[in-house]
Amino acid sequence: MGPRPPVEVLRGLAALSEAPASEHRAVAAALGLPDPPDGTAWADLFLFQLHPYASVYLGPEGMLGGVARDRIAGFWRAVGRTPPAEPDHLAALLGLYAGLLDEAEDSPEARGRLVHRSAQALLHEHLAPWIFPWLARVVDLAGPFHRAWAELLREALSEAAVAGGPDEPSVHLREAPPLPDPRREGGEAFLAGVLAPVRSGFLLTRADLARLAADLDLGLRAGERRYVLDHLLGQEPVPVLGALAGHARAAAESHAGDLWAPPAVVAFWSERARTAADLLDALARDGAAAEAAAGTLVAPGTPRDGERGAPGGTA
Amino acid sequence: MDLNELNRRVSAARADTEARGETFYPGPSRVHLASYPPRERWLDWVELDSKAWPERKEKRYTLVPTTCFNCESACGLLAYVDRDTLQVRKFEGNPEHPGSRGRNCAKGPATLNQVVDPDRILHPLRRAGPRGSGQWEQVSWDEALDDIAGRIRTAMEEDRHDEVMYHVGRPGEDGFTTRMLAAWGVDGHNSHTNVCSASARVGYNFWMGMDRPSPDHANADVILLVSSHLETGHYFNPHAQRVIEGKKNGAKLIVFDTRLSNTTTHADHWLATYPGSEPAVLLAVASWMIRERRYNRAFVERWWNWQEYMAEVHARPHATFEEFENALEEAYASYTFDFASAESGIPAAEIREVAEVVASAGTRLASHNWRSAGSGNLGGWQVARTLTFLNALLGALAVEGGTYPSGWNKYTPKPPRSPKQHPRRWNEILWPEEYPLAMHELSFLMPHLMRERGGYVDTYFTRVYNPVWTNPDGFSWVEMLTDAEKIGLHVAMTPTWNETAYFADYVLPMGHGSERHDLTSYEQYDGQFIAFRQPVLRTARERLGETITDTRDANPGEVWEENEFWIELTWRIDPDGSLGIREFFESVKRPGQKMTVDEYYGWIFEHSVPGLPEAAAREGLSPLEFMRRYGAFEVARKIGPVYEQPVPHDELDDVRVDDAGRVYTRAPVPPSPKAAGGNKFDPDADGRRRVGVKVGGDVLRGWPTPSGKLEFWSRTMAEWGWPEVATPTYLKSHVHRSNLDRDQMVLLSTFRVPIQIHTRSANAKWLDEIAHTNPLWIHPEDAGRLGVERTGDLVRVATEIGHFVVKAWITEGIRPGVVACSHHMGRWKPEGQPGQRMSMATVALGHEGDGWSLTQKAGGGPFRSEDPDTLRIWWTDVGVHQNLTHAVHPDPVSGMHCWHQAVRVSKAQPGDRFGDIAVDQTRAREVYRKWLDMTRPASRHSPDGTRRPYWMARPVRPERSAYDLPSAPTPEPEGAEV
Repeated sequence: MGPRPPVEVLRGLAALSEAPASEHRAVAAALGLPDPPDGTAWADLFLFQLHPYASVYLGPEGMLGGVARDRIAGFWRAVGRTPPAEPDHLAALLGLYAGLLDEAEDSPEARGRLVHRSAQALLHEHLAPWIFPWLARVVDLAGPFHRAWAELLREALSEAAVAGGPDEPSVHLREAPPLPDPRREGGEAFLAGVLAPVRSGFLLTRADLARLAADLDLGLRAGERRYVLDHLLGQEPVPVLGALAGHARAAAESHAGDLWAPPAVVAFWSERARTAADLLDALARDGAAAEAAAGTLVAPGTPRDGERGAPGGTA
Repeated sequence: MDLNELNRRVSAARADTEARGETFYPGPSRVHLASYPPRERWLDWVELDSKAWPERKEKRYTLVPTTCFNCESACGLLAYVDRDTLQVRKFEGNPEHPGSRGRNCAKGPATLNQVVDPDRILHPLRRAGPRGSGQWEQVSWDEALDDIAGRIRTAMEEDRHDEVMYHVGRPGEDGFTTRMLAAWGVDGHNSHTNVCSASARVGYNFWMGMDRPSPDHANADVILLVSSHLETGHYFNPHAQRVIEGKKNGAKLIVFDTRLSNTTTHADHWLATYPGSEPAVLLAVASWMIRERRYNRAFVERWWNWQEYMAEVHARPHATFEEFENALEEAYASYTFDFASAESGIPAAEIREVAEVVASAGTRLASHNWRSAGSGNLGGWQVARTLTFLNALLGALAVEGGTYPSGWNKYTPKPPRSPKQHPRRWNEILWPEEYPLAMHELSFLMPHLMRERGGYVDTYFTRVYNPVWTNPDGFSWVEMLTDAEKIGLHVAMTPTWNETAYFADYVLPMGHGSERHDLTSYEQYDGQFIAFRQPVLRTARERLGETITDTRDANPGEVWEENEFWIELTWRIDPDGSLGIREFFESVKRPGQKMTVDEYYGWIFEHSVPGLPEAAAREGLSPLEFMRRYGAFEVARKIGPVYEQPVPHDELDDVRVDDAGRVYTRAPVPPSPKAAGGNKFDPDADGRRRVGVKVGGDVLRGWPTPSGKLEFWSRTMAEWGWPEVATPTYLKSHVHRSNLDRDQMVLLSTFRVPIQIHTRSANAKWLDEIAHTNPLWIHPEDAGRLGVERTGDLVRVATEIGHFVVKAWITEGIRPGVVACSHHMGRWKPEGQPGQRMSMATVALGHEGDGWSLTQKAGGGPFRSEDPDTLRIWWTDVGVHQNLTHAVHPDPVSGMHCWHQAVRVSKAQPGDRFGDIAVDQTRAREVYRKWLDMTRPASRHSPDGTRRPYWMARPVRPERSAYDLPSAPTPEPEGAEV
């Protein structure tokens, strides 16, 4: 049945992705991790930068819920479990995975094989397709505790994910449409696509947007990511598209060099990020296209809230 | 370290932790991203201003938690305080509150309506004409305090302590006021409980020694509600969300409800029982389970007081358990499905089906009754008793998925400077000897008892209570409140105008849920938590750097924070400490100075709440700062079966075990951070205290009942005059078919609507727009029979003492033969009085001889105010005040008012107008006497010469000698010379 993943390690790591609780200190100690930081660090990482929900990274909407969560809830039901309120939360998925592995081991042989196959299906279909690119970004952005947490989690999952994985990517990835071209599908769809990792091939966090604004010396508006990005594009579309292309290309390289993820996952994400980078470069080179990409809230060329000069400015 | 080794290490750590009974993995506690701002950002939260749309205007808030004050669910709220204007912009749920978990009903967010209510009372007012005349003058707090304190001081100096009374509607707090009354030495705590939940409490208490249920709905396999609990009722929001969780996990939901309520629409089995027949159905289920041996025999044998029953009822002190089982089967054999069907109108096959479902629950049966059938019927306390019978048969008590008793799922911390004294006198008006087994004060009989027994209350506080409107027989209250020979001074403490405040001498403005301090803990799941209510503007301003020591500086107008008020009043009653009262309101840290609310709650959070100081320290906060920041703290979860806990060895010293298995020890009570209170059991003859009960060779905690076990048979009831109902039985209600004339129907008058509060929401505009009237539910068959043609037609409903005129709502959502009228609405203000214009009718009161009448002169309607919405009020019908036409129906055992009414419904008569009320007070007094005659007074039935079983809990328990009944006068020997 292949390598047996360390189920208790997975359970411990799952617990540590939940909101901080006093019990976490003992769990972290058992895992050889440093003391968990205070709630602020946890909230910043998991509530503002990198939400630990599969649907955000696998759904074409790039948001909580939707078709990706429905598929995952369906998986819970298929293995005889009632889906919890958030069936795609990382902790829920890891808990289910560990539970299935335990059940496989405790069951008679034929049933055990069946349950083990279910566990493998969960890993290959609903965890591996997003967890490795996501953990890579956690390692990028988090403080020492969560960086160590992420490194341990990808190590704990990798062997089983790589061994015996299917050759083709999971249904989430196969059916994900690519990043739309704003020249054909409009700025709204384009913006939504940039923020949907499974379409763009990259994860664009609030921290990324803040860095991008700082690098380009642009104003950073407070609001959700879509609002922020829209206003960055509205200020200087060409440099912003160029910077996004650079972000996508860096992501493609990062995916390609991911030694922990299964090959089919690596291939999908790196190819998708490269394709996105090409499109973004093309848009940046084409001034009119850049305007189209930026034209979501207001017609191209219309100044926004005084960001580009006095009312009645450039036409 | 390789992964396998690490895995072994984590497994070992988990096993070690769990072997100690501690939690290794705490379980999901995640913030739902779509719903709640993460708590780390509460101090400075940015949102877009919805009113500025489509402009994207940022608003900066500081989010301050508090606790809703609108019903006893006391859910967590988060006030969004605008950092620029320092106004509350909205209230949403507090995700940190363990009971409500961020969810609210409509009443929570509508707190905002109450805060900005254009008609609310903002300044202390004093009567400037005769009582009830509507003439008021604004006075300073100092004037009011000095006057009230002076009267109370004089009463105390003259040893008239029992002439001071505090009458509470919505308590909304744990311990502050009872502590204060104990410090005052006053047996004057009066509650509303006997028009509310007393019946259910009696039913639970005589089984478990605790008076409220805490069903673990989320983990149940079968949920059994005798109520419309999914939408309204005690703790309904915290419970309803867990009922739905349970259902999502596959639990079956059984609902007993005569009406088609929203709750019944969620039920797998809906039993629309004839009112009062619920115990018959429950006993039929129990009887079948007993016959079929579908119960938990091991549990019954281990934890019921069956030996005591067999010894006392069957004179078989050495009976075996099997003999008891046979006796049990015989005792309940007559409760067949056919019998229950005949009583309830539910087909026998359906009851049998429900019985199968109940029996299938095993120990995962979560059941609940609070008001509903329990509060409606003579003998309604047997609803909770027969319901608990099912749990007790299954062993579904205090186990996962079962029903816990309240005391084990609630945490009341010890306050600083706890008074040790007890009132020396027994208050005969509140605790009359006719009702020795009543759990609570006979509050609704007060006008009758005052009249008959020459009662006088020198200073009477009504605190967030409105007996004129809420209680039955409200005109008796008007008569009492306007009689200076009965009430010396009436102080109405209320945030809003109400029908009782109109007859007060002082009206003192108190705060809504966001304007007061209170500490609460409620049994809402298998855990223990505390929640903090706080004046949110005060806390917001303190966060922004201000120092506020008097909450009036932050509240609207001169609205005061109630704790500060009581502390100040107490100091003025006893300015020099000579009465021995002031010391309980002095600072611990600064003796001789007033205790502040910060110190009071800070002391509790620091000394009396296990785990809170440590949790606060982890965030660099003091315990008080933590509670002001987050509003709630969970002390423990998954309490489990406390009754099975072994008594620790160091509590067992010179132990004696009596014949009943009760264990007594000389070891002192170990120190506890919890507040004292609850049941008190007498020591053994040598002074040892009771510590537990011996079961199967082990000394276990057991149950806080006289026997230490679950009391299938109650010695207390048997010895205090009620032997025939000492086991779960069926009593025919006063509205049983056999008690009705052919032309009478049953009126259900108790049901609530989910979006109103009893008496404080009349100006909550969002709520009023949804629900502002209370038509009479009537089945089409009955409507046809009575000639009521259309919904909206006026009908006259005649009770025992009068009648009211109301609009009909013809609906199949009610049983034929039964009508229903929600007790909400029907609010009124006399002509010339101020009031809540959105939902109060303006009325004329008529009084001639023993006759009273009320006539509506105008309904609700639009008016100009600072709120433009008040010009948009489109409704005028604000309902009918039916309770005025209800006579008092005190249950002779529980003391609870039995709300259901036997009525005659007819088409309105010529001259009848909507909202008309007429009442005959002579008849009201006759009905009172008729019910009083059903009692079995302590003076004739007390087994020990006392007024009340000492073990039963009581608010502000008097000292032991006050329990003694007055000695009966010795009859003069015949022929003796005087």
